[in-house]
Amino acid sequence: MNDFLQNNGFLIVTMVQQALLAMSLYYPLMCGQLSLASPGFYALGGYVAAIIGTIEYFAPWRDSLGWVIFPLEWLAAGIISGILALLVGIPALRLRGIYLALATIAFVEILRVICLNLTITGGAIGIFGVPQLFESRWSYIWTFGPLLILMLLFSYRLDCSRVGRAFKAIREDELAADAMGINPTRYKVLAFVIGAMLAGVVGAMSAPFLNTWNARQGTFDASIAYLAYVLIGGSRSMWGPLLGGALLAALPEILRPLKDSRLIINGLVLVFASIYMPQGIAGALGKLRDNVGRSFGFFRGGK
Amino acid sequence: MTTAQFLQNLLNGISIGSVYAIFALGYTLVFSILGIINFAHGAIFTLGAYFTYTLAVGQFGINGLLSGLNLDLQVPFALSLLIGAVLAGLVGVLLERLAFKPLRTRGADSLLALVSSLGVALVIVNAIQYLVGAEIYTFPSQVYGDIKPAIMFEISGQPVVVRTVQVIIFAVCMVILALLGYVISFTRIGKALQAVAENQTTASLLGISVDRIILVTFFMSGFLGGLAGTLVGTSFGIAGPYFGVTYGLKGLAVIVLGGLGSIPGAVLGGIVIGLAEAFVPPDYSAYKEAVAFAFLFIVLLVRPQGLLGRSLIQKV
Repeated sequence: MNDFLQNNGFLIVTMVQQALLAMSLYYPLMCGQLSLASPGFYALGGYVAAIIGTIEYFAPWRDSLGWVIFPLEWLAAGIISGILALLVGIPALRLRGIYLALATIAFVEILRVICLNLTITGGAIGIFGVPQLFESRWSYIWTFGPLLILMLLFSYRLDCSRVGRAFKAIREDELAADAMGINPTRYKVLAFVIGAMLAGVVGAMSAPFLNTWNARQGTFDASIAYLAYVLIGGSRSMWGPLLGGALLAALPEILRPLKDSRLIINGLVLVFASIYMPQGIAGALGKLRDNVGRSFGFFRGGK
Repeated sequence: MTTAQFLQNLLNGISIGSVYAIFALGYTLVFSILGIINFAHGAIFTLGAYFTYTLAVGQFGINGLLSGLNLDLQVPFALSLLIGAVLAGLVGVLLERLAFKPLRTRGADSLLALVSSLGVALVIVNAIQYLVGAEIYTFPSQVYGDIKPAIMFEISGQPVVVRTVQVIIFAVCMVILALLGYVISFTRIGKALQAVAENQTTASLLGISVDRIILVTFFMSGFLGGLAGTLVGTSFGIAGPYFGVTYGLKGLAVIVLGGLGSIPGAVLGGIVIGLAEAFVPPDYSAYKEAVAFAFLFIVLLVRPQGLLGRSLIQKV
């Protein structure tokens, strides 16, 4: 068991990390907003942690605070991402559907080019030697794991709270929600900010985990990868992004025996999953549960 | 900025802008018919360049399955450009049948079309890498025949250099645009295409085979994408299987700038973004890549329907 964890630690932690990033896209999607901005905030959070962890200015802080600096990095990344999300979100969330998606893609690309050219972000080379929180890769499960559990609890509570219901009302029909006294702009911005803060914190946790940080962390490819996590996992429940993120992050590793052709197969999986599981994995499992339940006579009168 | 520099930037901008325009038209055609964005368009751009390279040069480097292959066909470049684009168009048709049609017939969420087209893009890009490796391929310098590499002239004592490739690219793009304009405005199939873009149900009631028009649209879209890929490839080289990604994204900026679904808008958007990039001062050239996206972001906030688009009216 220990060997297994040592050998596959990186993969398992990556699966949890990607599941968290998928969730960051899920919150805006809960109120029907297709935002692909998460990789931008993820990259930003990582840069915050990498900069606090490496530059001279923060050296006395690092020495006196010890490991406490890491939670502070997460906090800083979350707050900075949240503020930027508020600034970007208020004008951008007037847009709908594909327009919002394109605006957020533009946001990610602009941020990437800026990070590629500033000195503080290390330019094209990036930042190396970000201080490590743990010695082994596997140990990072103690940062990502609790965050995932926290986010699951949060999502579960959100689902049946006033805010969560407002999100869903906006997703189903924005005008009707507006007519019922829900302020759509406020809730859409709120969902966007929650997703951005989560992506920022995950970024800040990932910089020590990956040891280096550069502009390749937040790209258009990542935007679409996260979207695929959510849609293939299932966008109608919080289990969807969790399943989708974890499984699709592991897929290239599972397909490793296929060597060079594995990414081709990976692409085919995306195509066939969108065609044959339009409700995502979570949706397909839900349907299976209903069918099995019905044939055994449980859940009588269900859907 | 001197007159010579101004003219130089203007010419560079118009040349690359015309490629952006024909590439972005590929997005626009599909969007105007189906209301979705084909994320595999950048991959088809790449594929077109590789098809043409295979036909015209037929030599591959040391990586990939086809390494060391030396095809003995020396297809004249003009012909291989055309065949390359036609093959890219056929891949577009295949893409529609594989990734878009099954979703349409199932009435699936339109967001899924983004993911499935991206899946196809992954397949195309990695298949290229599998077959011919991630190397950079450049067309031979005399690919357009035995012509001077550049035209030089002077304006108030300062030189202006126009690469012959730029002139050819511009000319090819103009011919294609004129042809496309003719097909869409004056032919039967073009009118059917407009009808389907306006309203699918009505068009099918009028006896237009919507399915066939969709296929034609994807063929034209792939053709334009593949052609743009080859043209950029002859100018800057084919920088590996991923070289379409940047253009794919810039194309999105172009169509939003011009107005989603608007054909004149895509042309205008392409030229505007080409010019804007060309006029970035040399000191800030590192930020050139962000210009298109800055445009995209600002246009979306100020005028979401784009320069020439129709504004959306939300119905209850």
